[in-house]
Amino acid sequence: MKVRERWPRFEAVGATALFVVFDDPALLRRTLLRELDDLPFPVLVDRERRHYTGWGLQRAPWWKIWMDPNVYRVYGRLLQAGERLTIGGVDLLQLGGDFVVGPDQHIAYARPQTRDDRPPVAELLRAATDAAGGD
Amino acid sequence: MTAAPRIGEPAPQLRLPDLDGEVTALDDPAGSPVLVSFLRHAG
Repeated sequence: MKVRERWPRFEAVGATALFVVFDDPALLRRTLLRELDDLPFPVLVDRERRHYTGWGLQRAPWWKIWMDPNVYRVYGRLLQAGERLTIGGVDLLQLGGDFVVGPDQHIAYARPQTRDDRPPVAELLRAATDAAGGD
Repeated sequence: MTAAPRIGEPAPQLRLPDLDGEVTALDDPAGSPVLVSFLRHAG
């Protein structure tokens, strides 16, 4: 979670963050969050993915996921954590996205995923800075 | 299928429980820019 590493820069411009996941919270505590104590922002759980749909986030075509080497890195991390990869339990095709919402509750930055990638943290920080009216 | 919101459009509603069950909404930290990141799955 690279945003966390540069979180003081986000705080410096007065930004906050909300991370949204659809995984089982118990699984998250054993994997993603295992080494991330005291996150400075909430991790919200959307098990039914209603907000993923409401924010226009789509499911990828299978080939955009299965032909992406990054996917196998994630699986390796899960296996290292002792997880069994039960395909039926997780929608591997669900995409995410990053948005910056301004103080006026309007979208200041939008980058819905079209494949399994994320924008550079510097780009998100710049968007948050602009939304805050900073330099 | 709903389209993703574009720059300048009002943000869609967002109100969800955190890992401990405490509900948080997008407009809770009023007056601040908010980074909203939807993750794909477990990482």
